[in-house]
Amino acid sequence: MIEDDFYRTSSQFRLWSFTEESLRTVRQKTNSLASDRVRIALRRAREARQSANSSAAGTPNPNGSDADSKAGEEKDIECLTSEEEQDLVRYYCEQIIQLGESYKPPMPSIVRATAIQYLRRFYLTNSPMTYHPKTIMPCALFIATKTDNYYMSLRQFADGVPGDTTAEDIIAPEFLVMQSLRFTFDVRHPFRGLEGGIMELNAISQGLGEPAPHLPNQSAEDLRRAILSLPPPLNTPSPPSISDRLARAHHNTREILKSAAQMTDAYFLYTPSQIWLSALSLADAPLAQFYLDTKLPNPTESEHPLAQLRAKLLQTLSSCATLLQSYKPLGSDPEQKKAMRRIGKKLYHCQNPEKVNLAGQKRIPAAAAAAIASAAGNPSDTPTPDSEMERLAKKRKLEAEQQKAGNDIFGGDLVMERTRDRQA
Amino acid sequence: MAVSPLAPQSFQSRASEEVADREITEQMNDEVRHKYIKAKKLGEGTYAVVYLGHIRTDPTSFVAIKKIKVNTEYRDGLSMDAIREVKYLQELSHPNVIALHDVFSSKDQNLNLVLEYLPRGDLEMLIKDSDIHYGAADVKAWMGMLTRGIWFCHENFVLHRDIKPNNLLIASDGEVKLADFGLARSFADPYSNMTHQVITRWYRPPELLYGARQYSGAVDIWSVGMVFAELLLRVPFVAGNSDLDQITKICEAFGTPTEENWPGVSKLPNFIPADNNHTVPTQGREFFLRQFPTAGSVGADLLMSMCSLDPRKRSTAYQALQHSWWTAEPRPTNKEYLPRKSGGTRKMGDDLTRRGGELDDQFKNAARQLDFGSMKG
Amino acid sequence: MPPSREALVNRGDEDEVCPVCKSSRYLNPDMRFLINPECYHKMCESCVDRIFSGGPANCPVAGCHKTLRKNRFRKQTFEDIHVEREVDIRRRVMTVLNRREEEFDSKLDWDNFLEQREEIIFNLVNRIDVAKTEADLQSYASENMRSIRANQALEAKEVSSFQERQNHEQELARLRRQAAKEEYENERKELLAGRENYLNNLAQGRAGDAAAIAQKVMLKKSSARRSEEERIRQKQAALRGTDAQKPAYPGAVTAEEGGSGLIKGLKKIKTPEPEKPYDPFGGMVPNKRDYYTLRDHYPSSYLDPIRQDTRMLAGGYDLQEYYSRTMLEAFAGLGCFIDEEVPKRQASSFNVMKPVATQGAALAAGSGSGSI
Repeated sequence: MIEDDFYRTSSQFRLWSFTEESLRTVRQKTNSLASDRVRIALRRAREARQSANSSAAGTPNPNGSDADSKAGEEKDIECLTSEEEQDLVRYYCEQIIQLGESYKPPMPSIVRATAIQYLRRFYLTNSPMTYHPKTIMPCALFIATKTDNYYMSLRQFADGVPGDTTAEDIIAPEFLVMQSLRFTFDVRHPFRGLEGGIMELNAISQGLGEPAPHLPNQSAEDLRRAILSLPPPLNTPSPPSISDRLARAHHNTREILKSAAQMTDAYFLYTPSQIWLSALSLADAPLAQFYLDTKLPNPTESEHPLAQLRAKLLQTLSSCATLLQSYKPLGSDPEQKKAMRRIGKKLYHCQNPEKVNLAGQKRIPAAAAAAIASAAGNPSDTPTPDSEMERLAKKRKLEAEQQKAGNDIFGGDLVMERTRDRQA
Repeated sequence: MAVSPLAPQSFQSRASEEVADREITEQMNDEVRHKYIKAKKLGEGTYAVVYLGHIRTDPTSFVAIKKIKVNTEYRDGLSMDAIREVKYLQELSHPNVIALHDVFSSKDQNLNLVLEYLPRGDLEMLIKDSDIHYGAADVKAWMGMLTRGIWFCHENFVLHRDIKPNNLLIASDGEVKLADFGLARSFADPYSNMTHQVITRWYRPPELLYGARQYSGAVDIWSVGMVFAELLLRVPFVAGNSDLDQITKICEAFGTPTEENWPGVSKLPNFIPADNNHTVPTQGREFFLRQFPTAGSVGADLLMSMCSLDPRKRSTAYQALQHSWWTAEPRPTNKEYLPRKSGGTRKMGDDLTRRGGELDDQFKNAARQLDFGSMKG
Repeated sequence: MPPSREALVNRGDEDEVCPVCKSSRYLNPDMRFLINPECYHKMCESCVDRIFSGGPANCPVAGCHKTLRKNRFRKQTFEDIHVEREVDIRRRVMTVLNRREEEFDSKLDWDNFLEQREEIIFNLVNRIDVAKTEADLQSYASENMRSIRANQALEAKEVSSFQERQNHEQELARLRRQAAKEEYENERKELLAGRENYLNNLAQGRAGDAAAIAQKVMLKKSSARRSEEERIRQKQAALRGTDAQKPAYPGAVTAEEGGSGLIKGLKKIKTPEPEKPYDPFGGMVPNKRDYYTLRDHYPSSYLDPIRQDTRMLAGGYDLQEYYSRTMLEAFAGLGCFIDEEVPKRQASSFNVMKPVATQGAALAAGSGSGSI
């Protein structure tokens, strides 16, 4: 089918589509690598502390008991499982919806959906133990505003983020996120497809249906009569008119696309057309069935070569619908909330200490770098240096200064700092 | 594209020591990065540095590596130009659109785009070089490739918004390729606004000069028409030195927009009512034939259909390709036999380092400022 | 009683009467008769002048409603008007069906073609199945315009190059003679020189060398002759080459072998690659869809106000673009089954989409030092 080839060229299909099995494999790989590294990093941190202590004191650590307890703690370090990671990421996906809602005016749902998919793609190859979703989430949303033509300045954006998150905090992981997205920014959503389907169903209901290319015998009048005589959707009162019915189906499908389709693996496992049609079948099964019948011959009553495609499609749509149905919003589920608190606590102990200070390690915002340079008595000379080597040298120098400045400002190891704060 | 997505085996290919030290995403990035070798620098601009490179395993397959500079003035992370270029080139794959083979980051967090190597310069070079002679069949061949490229973008719902001769690069086999997607965006949904500050002035259609915020693929078609005219005349057809001057020159050349020939034009935000004593009637077929005799009457007719003041009357890329000019005599020159010029490599360096909407050096002051704040609707 | 033989011969003379004005040669000895291949009705020159000088007009012969033009009237070549007509028809058919023997796969196909051509001519002459035959001929002519023209050009060239070819042959013969003469001369010179050399060597050298020397001389001579022969052969090949180019069949021409398939057994063209008609869409099929048929308008309370919004319309905003996008996105990928296609994609060597990427797959764990 020609339309399908349009989708096959998309980066979403080429790079971000998986079978259930390959998805599981990737996630497990990510999880086990991150777990190993958390253990190594925590040991390294402990050793560094011990050697610092011993060299400072010149004698064996007087507070031996403290070191022992730490060692014991380390042995017991319990890392997140892959499933726990997924739950956590889903929680932050819901946070994206909230954060987007809090802006005035609220961000378009397509921007939020893009951000959610960015976050989900990011955590295929990164673990929350390495990069806490709390720091990645606002960045993903900010990137989505840029890639989805909903531009606002970083300053404006940062003002809307609750807490004391600064603009620098938000932008710090940008490059990291983009790299994890493999520099593919286009996300194919099911929203516009839903609009198209409803648009055509409306036309059909008004006697303006066009025969599908492979079913040339359809007539506008037959189609109209067929849509008008559909049985009502399951478990709902018969809608007063076909246009009401379509409006209701439209609305309910859209709600599913904004929630369940975002919070599950639907985008990785299915195509946007399959997703919206599955969602429509959840909202109004007879209507979805009818629409498919107008496109592909029913497998039971036809020898048509497309009947096979139809049969396969039916299976795919129903498994996608099952996936969408499996989603329960966190807010309405106390069990999940409890689980989330437990995961949060667990993560707190297995967070990789070496990756926490993103702003310091990963990115020097140009403005900050310039400020530091001038603060260091170095006349701000940002104009392009002559050669790559010179530029690199300068950059390293800046980094060193930045590091120093950072240390001066925040007073040393941020992780420890934070740990103490939390414990207090 | 590239290595199979997140294939588990690709994570195991490195020594375990290294694995323990590198993020998975970094490993994947390294894998892409190691595929290429950067050779010499081809050009450097305000926006990017372009290198000639080749595939590590095959020194004869050249690529151009465009390294996007960390923008020192832009505090909001990666610039919109870079984001747009990467976003759309990742999705578009067509003989008349420059191919993006890979993207990777280098050590200092610079973005590197591995692009198809196009060593034969651009259309502007050919237009300007008086030593090069070309005829109607050549123009038809170039225009065909350009129009096909734009048609493909529009088929994929992408507006290019910066068509001009020096964004039309030429491959070693003579194929014309649309490059520089720094101002591209996908078609706007109903009721949402777009910026009108796009397209280099000489190629900008009247609706954008009048500040339209909802527009269509017709904006690119106007630019295509202007390139067509320029190929025939070998000088830019309407070259204003300010936006106001541009609209004046367009009116002089094609006619004064009125509610009659362009319903609703007076409602556009920046519409300037015409001086009643000085209105030019809309130009008809004779005008185009007289101005562009090389195109022949059928070619002039196609050009006219691309230069309609009212964007709704302008042909779409699809309609343009259905025009009878393409199949009329003379047949378009085979791409292998098109006139060529040496020195294109350096030109590719220059072309790829320019920022969207900029003219070449002598027109630097014409560079537009993107009006992001007003893009929100 | 049948007219006598003499009477037949004379009929063209005295008692010949113009069927239109009824004047006879007897009264007007200078009278000339003309015919028009449109209907072959004979009439005298003065009738033609009178009737057709003012422009095309109907044939004055009763029952014939053909429109005739003056410039198409001509003298009759053959006495029998039927022969005249047949020759005309034959000429016309032959200019259209001007395939050449070398265009056919086999002798049988060529013979079939000749037979078919005769049949067509026969039908037209005898007014059998005229409409269909003419239509076939017409559609064949329009479909094969290029090859018809090429064959005509070829024929014309052959006629004009006949003389040229003869000249070539003479030139070749002259060259051959000259070459033979030169060779003889050279041989003779070498023989003389060789003999001298031989004698010298013999005079200077030791007796045992004589045989070796003699052999060397022989070798030298024959290699000289061989190189001379080679030179001539090359020259002749070159001449043949230029000669061969002319009648060589321009292969591309039969490529358009028409859809009507009037002629069977034409060779399939392998080289050089035929020039296909220019496709502005570059091989892509525009606007073809499998799941839906796009309408110009979809009623929608949400979208319809745009159709009245002059400002949006003046900017060129095109709802059609939105319709086509939403409809495409509704179905793009509906038939992509990720669980089937993705594993296949990973199994088959990485990627076919982009040319460069495939080659890069091989590097994998390349030991490269980071030269980027």
